[in-house]
Amino acid sequence: MLLLDYQNVLIESLLKDRFAPGATPTSIDQVVSDFDNVTFHISTPESKTKILVSLAIKCYPELAKYGAEEVLQREYGSLIVQPENGYDFSVQVDLEQLPSSDEEKTELIRKISLLKRNAMAAPFEQAFDEFASLQEQARQYTSESAPQGVREGGTVRAIHYREEEAIYIKASHDRVTVIFSTIFREETDRVYGKVFLQEFVDARKRGVQNAPQVLARDDPPLELQGIPGLKGGKGAEGGVTYVTFVLFPRHLTPQRRAEVISHIQTFRDYFHYHIKASKAYIHSRMRRRTADFLQVLRRARPEAEEKERKTASGRTFTVKS
Amino acid sequence: MAPQTPAVVMDNGTGYTKLGFAGNDSPSFVFPTAIATKGPSAGSGGSGSGRPATAQKPSFLTGGAGPGGHLSGKRGTEDLDFFIGDEALGAAAGPGYGLHYPIRHGQVENWDQMERFWSNSIFKYLRVEPEDHYFLLTEPPLNPPENREATAEIMFESFNVAGMYIAVQAVLALAASWTSSKVQDRSLTGTVIDSGEGVTHVIPVAEGYVIGSSIKSVPIAGRDITYFVQSLLRDRGEPDSSLKTAERIKEEFCYVSPDIVKEFARFDREADDRFKHYEVQQPGGRSVTVDVGYERFLAPEIFFNPEIYSSDFLTPLPTIVDTVIQTSPIDVRRGLYKNIVLSGGSTLYKDFGRRLQRDIRHLVDARLRASEARAGNSAKSGGLDVQVITHKRQRHGPWFGGSLLGQTPEFRSYCHTKAEYDEIGPSIVRRFALLGGPGST
Repeated sequence: MLLLDYQNVLIESLLKDRFAPGATPTSIDQVVSDFDNVTFHISTPESKTKILVSLAIKCYPELAKYGAEEVLQREYGSLIVQPENGYDFSVQVDLEQLPSSDEEKTELIRKISLLKRNAMAAPFEQAFDEFASLQEQARQYTSESAPQGVREGGTVRAIHYREEEAIYIKASHDRVTVIFSTIFREETDRVYGKVFLQEFVDARKRGVQNAPQVLARDDPPLELQGIPGLKGGKGAEGGVTYVTFVLFPRHLTPQRRAEVISHIQTFRDYFHYHIKASKAYIHSRMRRRTADFLQVLRRARPEAEEKERKTASGRTFTVKS
Repeated sequence: MAPQTPAVVMDNGTGYTKLGFAGNDSPSFVFPTAIATKGPSAGSGGSGSGRPATAQKPSFLTGGAGPGGHLSGKRGTEDLDFFIGDEALGAAAGPGYGLHYPIRHGQVENWDQMERFWSNSIFKYLRVEPEDHYFLLTEPPLNPPENREATAEIMFESFNVAGMYIAVQAVLALAASWTSSKVQDRSLTGTVIDSGEGVTHVIPVAEGYVIGSSIKSVPIAGRDITYFVQSLLRDRGEPDSSLKTAERIKEEFCYVSPDIVKEFARFDREADDRFKHYEVQQPGGRSVTVDVGYERFLAPEIFFNPEIYSSDFLTPLPTIVDTVIQTSPIDVRRGLYKNIVLSGGSTLYKDFGRRLQRDIRHLVDARLRASEARAGNSAKSGGLDVQVITHKRQRHGPWFGGSLLGQTPEFRSYCHTKAEYDEIGPSIVRRFALLGGPGST
């Protein structure tokens, strides 16, 4: 409940339905959204047994520049087909040529439902690879004699995955820096966001020593020097916050890699999910408090006094007990 | 925000919640409107509005901790420890979790649970950032405006949705019937027969507005049919008569017959054809065969002859539909008879619509003949057109209607946006322009 899943639940459940033995193939035509303006189109254009899953992602040209095609080729291989019109990437599954064992089927379902994650993973993988090679190079020098290029690290990879927000990834010889620029349209959200970010920043102090270092600030961090189109800074409007994650070599080992990429991708959604969940929590406390106060008010109502009631002609009622 | 994000259509019913995106032909998710939270079910956690917990002391006397404060003592992430939908049913089967149904009789009872239910359906199942999408929600007829306001507060203040529209389920069910070839003009006048799991409603709608005073409900719906099938199975002494078996038999084999007596005769004549067998897999790997007989046509018959099932409710459904239309304003009655729309899972039986149409037509014709006779046969009636619309989208009718209307280009102009809400406040949702009504396409 704490973390969001990485895979698309709908694709997963849909394929699971279709892959089940004895399931009758039927035609599908569904347009589905995912976080960050990603759109999926699941359809059966040719025949009912061939399911086409297409992905539209806003920053696909950027992702392609950072090697998304190779990553997707590696993950999906023979499943890839010509992208559907209006979409960036398509895979097709033929129900008649499914792997026979259940494990393989589950694996295939999982792979396809992770389409978005894999597409977004490319720049991270590239940066992690760059980190590895920079680390190799850096071994040859002492810190004094290092030439400029090694110490500064590589280029900044920018992914403008939402209209006003972006992820920047920069590799250097001893770390990989991932910077999110986030914008809050709502005043309340910004306050909640600040509290959450402070928790992230303080996490290392609290004894979570293995956590990546997190920094949050309102002006562009130094890593992003010289990148055009950055907003924010002193006195800037719009409430841009730059959240910097510093991933250390221990996060970048080949065993951890995949997990780290999945986690860090969902950061923004995770962040917003928790802001909203906190609001729901505060609301439920507010409701409870209101109910309590109402009860106090009800108790404070004076007892109905027994008044002598008379009819129009002046006779009184007598209460028989 | 990209302009092409599809609207999210959420239809929260008493039994099931239908979630999906506008423009699709079926909901992406259909799961029980249930939430499993830590602690025992029902009774505790009465922190919703409406039913305050029975507290010993008001909370300010106990140092703000609240009596039995199941929330305030916790500083961790316990409030996120809950499941919804099918997972809730699974979690509640184990220890530690209690199952709650936040919607009762179509209306939201517990807003705390509903807020969390929505939060999870948006983030976990639909996976959308609510700030990027417009939302179309549904409400039952005669929903109090306060409930609308509470919904708007949650949607706009907790989730910051871009825009929202709340539509009446019956009106959406009418819109869903536009896919039927029998519908020539896309009018929003008609009688909706909405039969789900718990209760059957007959709702007259004129020009998109529900005629509240004429709504009638029938206490016979899906669950009663299941019970009836079960009792028939038990009477015969079948090897398996669990509720689940009864439900499967109801869904797979039942149909509506034009005439019970003839149907009995046909069963006796063509026994091989008509009697079916249903194989039940019992826990433990055994499987038994259950015979399926007269209940095939008797079960849905309780709509038309309730006396075979119930002893206190005896009015057949066609008569109720007729009464509903007769109590509606006289100028819309013709339209109501002409467009009787079915919606909900319990209207899916084969020939249900045809039987209903025939029975209502008989009632109407009998009344017309009687009034002609009273007028001394001097005035002839031109007849009254009765038409029951059966269409393919009946099962999730309201959801599909919402999907249909939510994809129209003008949908967004009917919504109230976040900016409007911030300007005016929750009272803004008391009124919505009529979506799909006269003047729009």
